[in-house]
Amino acid sequence: MQYSQKVLDHFMHPHNVGKMENPDASATEGSPACGDQVTVYIKVDPEHLVIEDVSFLSYGCASNIATASIITDLAKGKTLEEAKQLTWRDAMEALDGLPPVKVHCSVLAADTLQSAISNYEIAHGLKEVPEFTKETILEELTKIIYPKVGEDIITLKMVKYVGFADGEVLIDLNMMNFDQYRENVAEEIREHLEKYPDVKKVVINFP
Amino acid sequence: MNSDRIYLDNCQTTPLAPEVLEAMRPYFSEKFWFPGTFISTGEAANQAVAESQQTVAQALGAQSSELHFTSGGTLANNIALKGLVGANSSRGKHIICSVVDYPDLLTNAAYFEKQGFEVSYLECDSKGLVSAEQLQRALRPDTILFMTTIVNHVVGTIQPMAEYRRVLESADHKILFHADAGQAFGKMPLNVKDLGVDTLSVSAHKIHGPQGIGALYVKQGAKLSQLIHGVSRVDHYQTGGISLALMAGFAKAVQLTFADLDGGIAHLRELSDYLWRRLQERISEIELNGPPGEGRACHNINASIAYIEGEAITMMLDVNGITVATGSACASQGLKANYVLMAMGKNHVQSHGSMKFTLSRYNTKAEIDIVVDKLAEITAILRERSPLYQAKPDQER
Repeated sequence: MQYSQKVLDHFMHPHNVGKMENPDASATEGSPACGDQVTVYIKVDPEHLVIEDVSFLSYGCASNIATASIITDLAKGKTLEEAKQLTWRDAMEALDGLPPVKVHCSVLAADTLQSAISNYEIAHGLKEVPEFTKETILEELTKIIYPKVGEDIITLKMVKYVGFADGEVLIDLNMMNFDQYRENVAEEIREHLEKYPDVKKVVINFP
Repeated sequence: MNSDRIYLDNCQTTPLAPEVLEAMRPYFSEKFWFPGTFISTGEAANQAVAESQQTVAQALGAQSSELHFTSGGTLANNIALKGLVGANSSRGKHIICSVVDYPDLLTNAAYFEKQGFEVSYLECDSKGLVSAEQLQRALRPDTILFMTTIVNHVVGTIQPMAEYRRVLESADHKILFHADAGQAFGKMPLNVKDLGVDTLSVSAHKIHGPQGIGALYVKQGAKLSQLIHGVSRVDHYQTGGISLALMAGFAKAVQLTFADLDGGIAHLRELSDYLWRRLQERISEIELNGPPGEGRACHNINASIAYIEGEAITMMLDVNGITVATGSACASQGLKANYVLMAMGKNHVQSHGSMKFTLSRYNTKAEIDIVVDKLAEITAILRERSPLYQAKPDQER
């Protein structure tokens, strides 16, 4: 499957790209070792809690850049509450779809927008730093895409067990040893969970 | 594909030479026959096969009888490797290859492991070179086979074939020697007698021949167990039909390439040196992957551009009518960083930002100028968007 024309348009001529001077909040997610890294900056109208301006930087592929472009378009002018509902699925739909193997690249941009909003809310006393629980793990796992089909591993029922105790996350994944994406998915899970200070160790078991 | 597209991915496949198309044409129409005996059509086909066989064999310094056509390089590698191992399994269970070998060899190695063989994977140095000293150290009394890739398909490193030969010949028992010459054929002089190999594979479409045909050299007297069973029409290793048109095309491609092999190599070397010089002039923080100069194949330049990602570069060049390859994980189906670059000790960023330019005799300096200009422009655009680049202090940007 090829990229849609819309993906190519947003990749070649991205909207809202560039470093923002004096943003009200920002967030950087991903790491070059894992393939890509995105930074999102937001400016918020403090009275109405509306995202007045948003921009991004991306070290990533075409899919990543196009998603960052469209999700920042979608967020601009929305209230924080509205913007918090935006997910990679909205971005993907607005881009007329993505090749399954490229869906995982789109999650990062959507995720980084949410982190920037969360950072704003914490900094302005709109919410507490959330406590890390099993729910946080499940929420993070909905952002892990199985590249073969371009759907998340929770929806695909690939996660058989999730546990969290004494800083150790335990996950049983239903992926066979001949699956070419097994290592890739495990690495992404670690990347998503190890960024939490509460997580000391991530153990992933396979059948 | 646009006719004005600039194609710099000749390691993958090459454009068909017009003369090759002409050479194949009669075999798609009036000369559609298969080899046979006594009757004129069959004899004419025999003659055509023999001529093609002789042309390709000569280019490798082999006898016609040692040259076997196959439906591509991968099939040649499989017939050789499974054949050699199958015929020699009673002599030992140990096989040697390297971590940077072509996937044909590595997937066969994995297959042999499943069959109960033990495989030693030699490491490479930072330039992709696998030393003969390592081969020496890996040898065991039960070693039956060493397989190698003469020119690395990612960074173009030329492996020390003469030194390998010395090590293998000084061993106290016979160790079979297979070479994949897919990237080496037509890019450097190759003589199977000098190389000392038992089997060697080549492919037509890497030298402006047609896709779907390769050849396997099997040294006279070497024993291979049969991989493909069926009626022997053209060749007894690859039984069944093999296209005579493709053989004729392969032979023509060989004639064109080997009419002036030294001149062709010098031309490609000049073009790739020019490309690398121009890239360094126009793009800051770009580094060559693999050895400089004579240590690499004449058609390969692999370079990593700092702070940006290869799939995005490749896509932008593609939109601008330029075809190149990248080692970025994002551009691979398995989403993995390039295994050759990682084995050379490169980090993920260097692998993600790696670009592979492979040239052919149809490329020109004018094309290279266009590519370098466009790439410099794209690099500036993508660096402007990159958080890694923007994190650099202002005075360094």
